[in-house]
Amino acid sequence: MTVRNTSRDDFPALRREIDGQTICYLDNAATTLKPRSVIRAISEYYESNGANIHRGKHWLSEEASDAYEASRVLIAGHIGAAANEVVLTRNTSEALNLVASGLDLDPDAYIVGALDAHHSQLLPWRRTGRLELTRVDAHGRLDRDHFRELLRGRPKAVALTHCSNVTGVVHPVKELIAEIRSACDATIVLDAAQSLPHQRISVRELDLDFLAFSMHKMLGPTGVGCLYGRSERLAALRPLAVGGGMVDWVDLDGSVDRRTPYKFETGTPAIASVIGCAAAIRYLEALDAGELHQHEQDLCAALVAGALASPGVRLIGPPDQNDRIALASLRLDKGVPTGEVARLLSDSYGFMVRSGHMCSQPLATELAGGEILRVSAYLYNEVSEIERFYQALEELLTWMGPVAAGAR
Amino acid sequence: MTDSTVFEAVRNEIAYAFENTVFFRKHMEDSGLRPEDIKSPEDFLRLPPTSKPHYRRNFPAGVLAKGHTLNSPHVTRFQSSGTSGDRLNSAILAYDLARRQATALGVNHRFDDLWRPGSRPRVCRFAPPNCSDVECATGFSTMEDRTLPDGTLVLTVAHDLLATPEWQVVKALDEIELYQPDLLVVDPTHFAFLTRWARRLGRTITSPRTLHMVCGYTLMTRVARRQIEDFMGPDLPIGDMIGMSELGYLGFECHHGSRHINNQDFYVEFIRDGRPVEAGEMGELYVTTMDDELVPRIRYATGDYFTPLGSTCGCASDLPVVRVEGRDAHMIRLADGRVVTPGAVDAVVGDAPGIDLYKLEQDRTGACAFRYVAGSEARAEDAAALGLRLTRALAPNPLRIEAVDYLAGERSGKFQPCVSHRSADGAR
Repeated sequence: MTVRNTSRDDFPALRREIDGQTICYLDNAATTLKPRSVIRAISEYYESNGANIHRGKHWLSEEASDAYEASRVLIAGHIGAAANEVVLTRNTSEALNLVASGLDLDPDAYIVGALDAHHSQLLPWRRTGRLELTRVDAHGRLDRDHFRELLRGRPKAVALTHCSNVTGVVHPVKELIAEIRSACDATIVLDAAQSLPHQRISVRELDLDFLAFSMHKMLGPTGVGCLYGRSERLAALRPLAVGGGMVDWVDLDGSVDRRTPYKFETGTPAIASVIGCAAAIRYLEALDAGELHQHEQDLCAALVAGALASPGVRLIGPPDQNDRIALASLRLDKGVPTGEVARLLSDSYGFMVRSGHMCSQPLATELAGGEILRVSAYLYNEVSEIERFYQALEELLTWMGPVAAGAR
Repeated sequence: MTDSTVFEAVRNEIAYAFENTVFFRKHMEDSGLRPEDIKSPEDFLRLPPTSKPHYRRNFPAGVLAKGHTLNSPHVTRFQSSGTSGDRLNSAILAYDLARRQATALGVNHRFDDLWRPGSRPRVCRFAPPNCSDVECATGFSTMEDRTLPDGTLVLTVAHDLLATPEWQVVKALDEIELYQPDLLVVDPTHFAFLTRWARRLGRTITSPRTLHMVCGYTLMTRVARRQIEDFMGPDLPIGDMIGMSELGYLGFECHHGSRHINNQDFYVEFIRDGRPVEAGEMGELYVTTMDDELVPRIRYATGDYFTPLGSTCGCASDLPVVRVEGRDAHMIRLADGRVVTPGAVDAVVGDAPGIDLYKLEQDRTGACAFRYVAGSEARAEDAAALGLRLTRALAPNPLRIEAVDYLAGERSGKFQPCVSHRSADGAR
């Protein structure tokens, strides 16, 4: 069963066959597939318009600008923000780099992060200042005592990860933010790339300074990241890049930046992709939230149960479904090459799953000791697919096991 | 072996594949056939060919014979990039590889002293990165990281051959010097690139041992061969290998320069329109393994085309002589119905002393573009003459000729000298 109002037929890529075998897409934490409405919105822009935005007075430019800005309004509304608080970037990484570099912190500024951060929420801060990482326990949940201890050092910024792309753990950010606010006046930056596709977030309720996410992980096109910034914080941020489109006036002595969010958006953006994002938001918002949540729970239960029951694999992350998304990272027995297994699952069984360190190498090394296999589901997946995945994995691992008797 | 003995071996292989692999049993049953129905070579033609997608989709559960796993002794697993992205995961028994290699190399007496009793040749590989299951494209790995279980040292090279930086080239040259190989197993286009760099840097490529060179992976162009021979000198035995990752050596070049197909370890057919071709006609190579207990393949359509010449060779080998034509997906299809093979294109280009590297590309409309990187000895009149020859060979299709300073490789790291988007589309 998928969620009501969602049909697998909405996702043309799910009909793809390789060597006569239908694929099963389980790499949704990397990116999701796109519904037909998103694909159509992109095609329509190119087929009926194709003009640049914001700089022209002609009909097509106005029309494209309207569609582009309407998309920003929808995206902002989805997270409870005002449209001028949403900067459209290329991806989450760029959004986080924009904040980390734009805060103009001293080189020795003390910053608190977490061990389960994606490289995109780790490396920009490591480059910016003196980064200390909050430890996690054996199941990937934050060590809250350690977090409080780090906050006592009065950091200038706290870089939080809402949901780990390795363990699938969703951290209690509301509580964490309250602790930060009571301990110091740090700028709070939340990476919501993995959580927002699975649950609505209200930036007002969370009392955040900045929040970053990518539309391509929530049915949108690739090439669009979003940075929410509380108005006054955004206004104080230094742009990452300068050039055309982000200035109101330029003369030989200087220039005047445009207002936010435009001063952060230099150059021609991914117009078609941003327009496609509106279709993605509409698609998501048309779904029944209760059913979506239940479906997510069912997928999560199947992922966890399958991992715990499978011989030759170890689940990296909590052995339960509490506060986690439908994602399971698996460590294979020693000597079984993860990349080869991923390739065979794909080519022989049709399961598209991820292998490697997941751009979160410190955590993968700490919890798993090396590369992992990640299975991540989304609203168009079915529990039966997860069950078949584990059957395939088990069969495959028997072929990679010790020698059987009876060879010629 | 007599013909009847050979066919008996084929029947045994069919029976073994039927009894021991899920895929092949179903493949035969879907055609209403059982092993006992195949009594003669004519019956054999009733068996539908098998192909790469069958083995890709069914690997390992459907095609690995009962009683084996991927960890069985002597099993070598590999993940090949394939040609033009048609990748494959497979496994092969080390001794089958060795047996096929020995048969193939046996046609070339210049390789006779490579294997001496009690010693294994030290092998160094310089080939497209995806052809080796080790990280060799970034150049950050160590020699130890890039040494395969059989002792082969894989040299580092970028995926996009011409974009390989100087430090990576120097690293490859240094490692050859350090490793002191007996045998260089190379992609000839890649090795020609290395010789150009070595010449520029004033380096040599030598070993205190007697060096030999096996060329494979992609078509060995005369342009690449000329550069290798010029740089390495006449004493280096060079052999052009006909092979596939999943099967090993399918043939080799003898010391007289003919290409021989290994019909001792394989039952070979050259097929066109479902029927065997006559000598002198081009056909797709189908192979049936003999005594392959791990992954028996029956009528495996290789996608590689050859022309069996039906002639004997002065080298005295009994293995049949063929002309290499190239892959179906690379054939240039002309408006008048003619097909120009990559082998034929290479014959037209010749050893072209003024050219370092070339690529003929046919687009979907049928138009062709011949791009080449000119060498230091390039002469305008040679280029004009080549242009004329190519125009004639590819008429009536339009041809554009361009001298360039860069030609991109495939994402797999291979560099194909002749590709056709028209044929590739048709093959899909």
